[in-house]
Amino acid sequence: MLISNKSKEIIDSCRFCWMCRHICPIGNATGQERNTARARALSLSLVERGAAKLEGSIVDNVYECALCGACTKDCATGWDPVKFTKEVRLEAALNDQTPAYVTKMLESVAANKNPYGVKDIDDDLKAEIKKHADKKDTVLILGADARYIGKDSAMAAMKVLDKAGVEYTVLEDEPDTGYVLDTLIGAASETKETMEKFAKEVSGFKTIITVDPADAKTLLREYKEWNIDLKAEVITFTALAAKLVADGKLSLKKASKKYSVQDSFFLARDLEEDNTRGIVEKIGDLCEMLLIKKDTVWAGNMLMREYIPSVIDKVAARRLEDAKRMGGECVVFECVGEYEAAKKVDGNIDIISIHELIANNL
Amino acid sequence: MNEFLFDMIASELEDAVGKENCSTREIDKITHSVDYYWLSRMWADRGLRMPEADIVVSPKDAQEVSKVLKIANYYKIPVTTWGGGGGTQGGAIPVCGGIVLDTKRMDKIYNVNEKSMYIECGTGTIYKHLEWMANERGKATMHYPSSLTCSTVGGFLAHRGIGVVSTKYGKIDDMVLGMEVVLPNGDIIETSPAPKHAAGPDLNQIFIGSEGTLGIMTKAQIRIYDQPEERRFRGFLFKNMTDAFAASRELLQKFKPSVMRLYNEAETATLIKKIVGVEKPGAFMNIAIEGVSELVAVEEKILLSTFAKYGAEDLGSDYGKKWWDEKITFFYPGHMMDLPQMFGTMDTIAPYDKIENIYWEMKKAIETNFPMARFIAHFSHWYEWGCMIYDRFIVDNPPKDPHEALKLHNEIWTCGVRTALANGGVVNDHHGVGIKLGRLMKEQYGPAMQVFEGLKKQLDPNGILNPYKLGL
Repeated sequence: MLISNKSKEIIDSCRFCWMCRHICPIGNATGQERNTARARALSLSLVERGAAKLEGSIVDNVYECALCGACTKDCATGWDPVKFTKEVRLEAALNDQTPAYVTKMLESVAANKNPYGVKDIDDDLKAEIKKHADKKDTVLILGADARYIGKDSAMAAMKVLDKAGVEYTVLEDEPDTGYVLDTLIGAASETKETMEKFAKEVSGFKTIITVDPADAKTLLREYKEWNIDLKAEVITFTALAAKLVADGKLSLKKASKKYSVQDSFFLARDLEEDNTRGIVEKIGDLCEMLLIKKDTVWAGNMLMREYIPSVIDKVAARRLEDAKRMGGECVVFECVGEYEAAKKVDGNIDIISIHELIANNL
Repeated sequence: MNEFLFDMIASELEDAVGKENCSTREIDKITHSVDYYWLSRMWADRGLRMPEADIVVSPKDAQEVSKVLKIANYYKIPVTTWGGGGGTQGGAIPVCGGIVLDTKRMDKIYNVNEKSMYIECGTGTIYKHLEWMANERGKATMHYPSSLTCSTVGGFLAHRGIGVVSTKYGKIDDMVLGMEVVLPNGDIIETSPAPKHAAGPDLNQIFIGSEGTLGIMTKAQIRIYDQPEERRFRGFLFKNMTDAFAASRELLQKFKPSVMRLYNEAETATLIKKIVGVEKPGAFMNIAIEGVSELVAVEEKILLSTFAKYGAEDLGSDYGKKWWDEKITFFYPGHMMDLPQMFGTMDTIAPYDKIENIYWEMKKAIETNFPMARFIAHFSHWYEWGCMIYDRFIVDNPPKDPHEALKLHNEIWTCGVRTALANGGVVNDHHGVGIKLGRLMKEQYGPAMQVFEGLKKQLDPNGILNPYKLGL
């Protein structure tokens, strides 16, 4: 395989090690042995040794990883299974072995700027976006998930910023940050071109606010990896909201409810941000799950729900169960895709996005 | 088997467990073909495919397991049970092909019983998840092996596993109240309403340690404990192993610490130096005492005075705490021995009057017969009557040819275990037997082996369950 030596080293280290099995949200939901970093590495080590081919179920299994980094965080030695998984996705693409369901999503990204086959955004959201078309120094990036499948979070985010008096632009023809491509095919030339296009189109802004932590992570981490110069300062919605609350620009009403925070791994692990708890505590009582912050357990997303819906439903249901067991009454989501995936299951517990929670309690 | 018959059987299995829980895909076959057994890893490392299952099934409960076993019995197909695959003895490898029965969908928590202090769960539950479930209620399982995060409840039961606080809380076989087991003919049985009784032999203990050869454990009631008010650590350095044995034996007549771990001079100079930071020569020993604070304070006094009598240097609490924090780090890639090295842990156990001699005899046997091998050891699970040796051999440059490597590996194992047996030890303390040591079971048990063989013949007349494991 034409993957980096570092990835080959990680594969050979992980292929006989199960130490991170317990923390994999997919493996825990399916109970399938293949859904472990060890299984993925073992099969790829056999590919590398000529004993198997990078095709069929071995490639499918590379796409059954959420790239959530729980295994990476848990590894005492510091191996990073996410790295080789992303590189092998690219390798499969270069060898025309990308699964058909991924190709379909890639085609949709090219045609519609989202992987879900949604051709246009909701009319209410479109109208709201139009109200913020004037050019300001700050741009609010809604992201593919909030624009095309999670309009409630997008609308709520705008309501919060308006209430706080933040001046910002929302682009009617918002460029793609490259998050989806980076997830599906890794460091492909198409991904880089998409990112460069985004950087160019937002080059006139001084500040970028991201509604979705997935986009924040892409802009703050992946762009650096690619040496793409993003001139604007990037701030997450939750970091900005916390600041607005601290500065007295947003005052929050108290609600008598026990909230459990579903930390987005993008914020907790990748960006090391924890602003949601402070906001939630101002609104209600915090009822923590056992595994939180950097130890958070991913609760699914809509991207993977496109091709393994029953698995993602199990992933989401398990996480909601974690909150219920600890006495939580409502789970607060930071990540739009995670929130939308959780909406698809009947968890017998309230759920809300952090954007909506703030907007509803102004 | 012809393609037509295979398809017929596959469709029956799909009917039993659901299509999505029945796989003939390459990825599933590969991932169930290599466990933590060094030979299976070496085989894969050399670019060879291990024997693979023909079909992998994942039942969700005893009823589905029962259906699978009835099908397997009718067609006389081997069934190998796979929990986490973290075993070192090759017990989960489907050496005869057939069906691999993965237990991990049987992960339901049925009952957290704080009154009787147990959790009833499916045996496919990852043990760490059981621990989390207990932790959510302020309790703990007190079963902390290095494979805590990767292995299932059933996996530990199948090979009689043990954790680092075993001296106080016991082995996995001490932690079970009752079990549900599916017999090879598909009958579902319950072992007993209580673990201690005079209603005949202990059914729990017939299936615990049977490594999937006599039945498939599907549900277990596992003990939980209150979290200790306090856990104190103390590191010691003994001048030699003999003093350490004498001190430990005396200590255990007085009370039971939770952790007792004595490292020989070679492991102290390598692993302990690297991970815990002890630089001095000698035999390092780590002790943890835990429970109610008042008792812990008294026990610590007894510990210090007892060990002082035997000249142990008190290293304070830092090394012990460091060891506790890093207790699993030892087993991550980069810290643990790994390919291309050949290595193995020949853990055995014996009473105090034999254990030290076994250690020296095994060391001599390995180092004399296999000069290319290093021998390191620690003693980690202690009782009032004896303790176990966790002794390892390491060959840094084993043969590249996989067949030659296999032969050398087996020669070293046979030599080491035979030496243990000849001096009063057993085939294994807590890793089990698997395919690795099956050939040595008769050497340990002699005519007593017919008891196991009789059970096997009666319960599994077609020999479908985990063939060539446990010497059965």
